[in-house]
Amino acid sequence: MIPIEYNTGSLAARKTTTATAVLGIALVVFVLAASLMLTEGIKQTLGKTGRPDVGIVIRQGSDAELSSNFDLANVGLILEGSEVKRGPDGNPLGVGEIIVVALMKKVGSDGVSNVQLRGVPDNVYAVRPDVHITEGRKAKPGTDEAVLGQKIRGRFDTLELGQSVELKKGRSVKIVGIFEDGGSGFESEVWCDVDTIRTAFGREGIVSSARAQLTSASAYDQFKTRVESDKRLGLEVQRETEYYEKQSQSLAMFVRVLGTIVAIFFSAGAMIGAMITMYASVASRHREVGTLRALGFSRFSILSCFLIESALLALIGGAFGCLGSLALGTVKFSMMNFATWSEIVFTFHPTPKILGVSMIASAVMGLVGGFLPALQAALLSPIEAMRGE
Amino acid sequence: MNLGGVAANNLRRNKLRSALTIAGVAIAILAFVLLRTIVEAWTAQSSDVANDRIVTRHKVTFVLSLPKRYVDEVRGMKEVKIATWANWFGGKDPNHDTDFFQALACDEKTFFEVYDDMRTTPEQLKAFKEDRQGAIVGEKLLKRLGWKVGETVTLTSQIFPGNWEFHIVGTYEALKKAVDPASFLFHWDMLNERMPKAFQDQVGWIVARVGVGSSAVDTSKAIDDKFESSDVQTKSQDERSFQQSFLGMFSAILTALNIVSAVILGIMMLILGNTVAMGVRERTGEYAVLRAIGFLPRHIALLVIFEAGVLGIVGGGVGLGLAYPFINLGMGRFIEENFSNFFPFFRITPESGAISMAIAVGLALCASLPPAVNAYRLHVVEALRRIA
Repeated sequence: MIPIEYNTGSLAARKTTTATAVLGIALVVFVLAASLMLTEGIKQTLGKTGRPDVGIVIRQGSDAELSSNFDLANVGLILEGSEVKRGPDGNPLGVGEIIVVALMKKVGSDGVSNVQLRGVPDNVYAVRPDVHITEGRKAKPGTDEAVLGQKIRGRFDTLELGQSVELKKGRSVKIVGIFEDGGSGFESEVWCDVDTIRTAFGREGIVSSARAQLTSASAYDQFKTRVESDKRLGLEVQRETEYYEKQSQSLAMFVRVLGTIVAIFFSAGAMIGAMITMYASVASRHREVGTLRALGFSRFSILSCFLIESALLALIGGAFGCLGSLALGTVKFSMMNFATWSEIVFTFHPTPKILGVSMIASAVMGLVGGFLPALQAALLSPIEAMRGE
Repeated sequence: MNLGGVAANNLRRNKLRSALTIAGVAIAILAFVLLRTIVEAWTAQSSDVANDRIVTRHKVTFVLSLPKRYVDEVRGMKEVKIATWANWFGGKDPNHDTDFFQALACDEKTFFEVYDDMRTTPEQLKAFKEDRQGAIVGEKLLKRLGWKVGETVTLTSQIFPGNWEFHIVGTYEALKKAVDPASFLFHWDMLNERMPKAFQDQVGWIVARVGVGSSAVDTSKAIDDKFESSDVQTKSQDERSFQQSFLGMFSAILTALNIVSAVILGIMMLILGNTVAMGVRERTGEYAVLRAIGFLPRHIALLVIFEAGVLGIVGGGVGLGLAYPFINLGMGRFIEENFSNFFPFFRITPESGAISMAIAVGLALCASLPPAVNAYRLHVVEALRRIA
């Protein structure tokens, strides 16, 4: 084997060419990693929303809570089964909520977008034990107070602790607290009192959805069968985790398709860049290659030597690209979720797997790009090569 | 032979490298055109809309509607020529559950007068007005779902319970890029009748056209002022601002696409600059000889810049040549057929083509500047000594 120092030395000797090729691959890997991180961020945000032991009930045929509505009276029927967990007070742990959206002005642009407002009953924290207030306090039940998800905080005008949000003329809610829920999609919502939303949005006597905390995740099938078997209700039950997974599908798909198309074009470009660099590198080293061959190194050694060099080049680029993409960890990305028509905030979410995939992708780009030049070097006849310039 | 000829000939000396570079530039330009087309297809909708149409919605949220009497009040305004209204229905064909399209309950009498860029035949329009269960379906949607005029179809809705039966009495053709060619339109009365009492006589939004001599902006304001003291307040915008504010909700994606476009151009410059720089390094001796026989530094620099320019022109040309069939015939058709509600028009515009070509050449020239400067500063004696 030809020692690796030969390769590192040779990359260092051609600083400009090496730097441009490294930068090219770094940019490609950056974009690749960023799109993977964004897809992961979407999945994390919506995937973390919901619990497997919670059943969500919406009107049959509605795709989402926002378009669903049914009689408030049915909530009692939904929650009365034995598979629904009961609180210390003996009441079922379940909620009937109203979901609406309001148009608000985005901070830092003249754009507007829809923010999801959830009308929640008093026992919301009992049903969602993972939700914690991080600043301020809980809203007093039955008042025009609201709590704000920490991800959406500050991204819209008036969405800040102590500010008021106007729901309709002469009816505002005051934000008295900020809540977190482990990075879930709920953090992109404003939670108001259910009756406030009901009167402000003319939803008397109805709810958008109901949620039931089940005795265990396995009680789900029983719950689903019971609620759906009553055809008069016309309701549909989904596991909360699955519901949110479905909500993320179209958006995650959109980013993934776009990211893949872009990554294909980009990696083709980067491979061409690596190929040009390696061809030049081989061409200027004909004599060296001839000498190595004369010293007894096999064609295979030459081939692998140049492949290693090319992979090394690409890996350096990949490392820079990954580092760059990690810097995106602090960037918040917010856009409309197609499934809910409301703004949802994501972060770029790095995982070891994504970084691994990106590094492997960069090594592959190097190997593919370097293969033909390496082959050319390996096939050189030693005599010709030593004679040549 | 002039300098340009020499430059072009230089590219033939390392054919493989030139070919690779041209391929790199071509791929970058292809990707750039594709990304631009996505952005343009998205924004085209706002640049191509009628600007004498005003959309009036609920001020706070699209989930709430307006009292129907507002339509008459808007119609009574002197600035308004004609007004109509519609409600979002959220229809689905139970046989094609995942196929999303826009189904609207509209006023059959006035809708097509206000939307005169949706063209239907007088006979079909007459049939639509006479049949209470009648529906007019966009040509694209008809084709996509395999329906025929004269057929009876059953839809369900994400919002309203039950089955809804309609007779397809006609189709319409979208005359503008911004018009969705795949909507489903039916009588508003059908929807209103089946609503619970408390939710009757509500309209989703009102669309008004302003008369000659009135401005859309002033009229929008006049409408909102009119309802300012009412219980339900409105937000009116001309169609362009309406579309733009909708696009604004996706601005993060558009920003990301623009950044990515810039990155691909950066990669292209790196590839091109690298090739030119390598050429300059290899030909240092020749340049020294050229200088020694009387060529000026600027001649040498021009030689380098010309070389890059040729690479840019050829690469850009090849990229565009690939982009046209790929986008306009392949992908674009598929997208227009299947995603017409997001992208009713997905094709390379002439401006995009021209801009991409200009960028290919412009960036090629920029990329050639550092090597050109090096060539310009060439120290003749040194360079000659090095090869001696």
